[in-house]
Amino acid sequence: MKDKIKLALCQISSNREKKEANLQKIEELTHSAKNLGADLAIFPEMSLTGYVLHDQIYELAEQIPGKTVQRIERLAEKTGIHIIFGMPELSEKTRGTICNTSVLVGPKGLIGKYRKMYLPTHSVFEEKRYFRPGYEPAVFQTELGNIGLTICYDVFFPEVFRLIRLKGAQLIVCISASPAIRRGYFEILTAARALENTAYLAYVNLSGVEDGLQFWGGSRLISPTGDILAKGKYDEEDFIVCEMDYADLRSAETFIPALRDLRPELFDKLKQYSEQL
Amino acid sequence: MKLTPAELDMDFSTAEKRICRFIKEYVENAGAQGIVLGLSGGVDSALAAGLSSKAIGGKNVLALMLPEKETVKQKDIEDAQTVADQFNLQPQICDMTKVLEGFYESIAVFDPTDRLCKGNIKARTRMIFLYYYANKQNRIVCGTSDKSETMMGYFTKWGDAASDISPIIDLYKTQVRNLAIHLGIPQELALKPSTPALWPNQLAESELEIKYETLDLILFGLERFMEPKEIAIQLGLDSIVVDRVKRRWLSNEHKRRMPLPPKLGFRTVGNDFRLPRHTY
Repeated sequence: MKDKIKLALCQISSNREKKEANLQKIEELTHSAKNLGADLAIFPEMSLTGYVLHDQIYELAEQIPGKTVQRIERLAEKTGIHIIFGMPELSEKTRGTICNTSVLVGPKGLIGKYRKMYLPTHSVFEEKRYFRPGYEPAVFQTELGNIGLTICYDVFFPEVFRLIRLKGAQLIVCISASPAIRRGYFEILTAARALENTAYLAYVNLSGVEDGLQFWGGSRLISPTGDILAKGKYDEEDFIVCEMDYADLRSAETFIPALRDLRPELFDKLKQYSEQL
Repeated sequence: MKLTPAELDMDFSTAEKRICRFIKEYVENAGAQGIVLGLSGGVDSALAAGLSSKAIGGKNVLALMLPEKETVKQKDIEDAQTVADQFNLQPQICDMTKVLEGFYESIAVFDPTDRLCKGNIKARTRMIFLYYYANKQNRIVCGTSDKSETMMGYFTKWGDAASDISPIIDLYKTQVRNLAIHLGIPQELALKPSTPALWPNQLAESELEIKYETLDLILFGLERFMEPKEIAIQLGLDSIVVDRVKRRWLSNEHKRRMPLPPKLGFRTVGNDFRLPRHTY
């Protein structure tokens, strides 16, 4: 495993319901990422289909592995780089159960997937109406290090990030479809999740407008000490290639020994009190 | 939360940019040739027109001035013309008087003393003019409703509220005024007292019995789930005033929704038939 890896933060606007157009965009940008020396190309939450789908989601969800993932596998194989993207995942066992899923594909094929655990269902969000939540935090050992996957609203729940950090994630990838009104929250929380876990955090958000909902972009790579190492434009599509160095984790973890200082007994209390809320 | 006018401050450059992008993308995705809107000489339509012009270019924005003999004011026509000149809009005057008189004569139960029912005919007739031009010239009808009036139900159902997009509907009136000033609309016009012009000398604040500066803070508090009692204390108002605003806001929800259907089918239009808005 190499210490330094290059990430391409592919901050696209998805064409709503047009998978083919989105796949072409993903293919084009993955090739650009490869040409610029990137090891990993990251696309936003639901980048395959767009985010505001309502009942049309039932026509768009696919199994994983499935047709789209096979195409992304061919793309990863051809370019030799890793790809993370978001899509609605249809259960293998039912025909109407869907998860909001982040997919990690490498040059040798599908590495793993993460089903979003926290589904926002408030304000303009209606995810619990359509999605079954995930139950498993996801960390995958890859040639690019241990990568943990999270999605958007998960960022409000430090326990997900803590869990995947404790499972070994050194790079946490958070794909997102966050509307502009919430920008301030995400700017704070993404930095906090990186800092409190002393891990790299790559946040890749949609841009564009869907049904009047504007996504704010602002994708970023955050260092284990909470510094923004690279940042995309607000509101517009952008493509950012940036580098991270795992060697910096040692310095960060000694300077901010938050993991060393964890108090496991508090987690029992956390469970107890949250059940009593 | 402290309910002060500062709560209604916003980054007007960002708001302008976002609204312009919203308008531009909608018009493009719909494959429309442009926008048509009613330009009254008031601040709401001036702002919607200015933003539309910045989004898609004034030459693509048809601004209909729709006077009728009972409510027409030369000052309003002049103000509308000022806005049309400022944003290079395509202005056109359509006098509605004859059409309205046709309605008055044709409705068997027409009551000229009932100014609200009569005034609503005017608002709905404006809508018919706008949609005629929209259909004929492949334009999008741009609504000019603001958040204060919409929350209060202070509009005509299927009249001024009827449109394809509502670019300023998430801005309270005081925010509309400030964004208008930010856009360079003359201050005198931006701060001019609002009127729906349904009958002569009608004034919004007199009818609503409250100043927009106060109303907007009450509505902002309600939007943020504040208790009416707390809003009243913070604003130094009698709680009856806040309760009245809240009642009016809630009782007018029927004006802001599609017609209510009885639930009979598997999925029901306007109820649980949830589909993306396809202009694509």
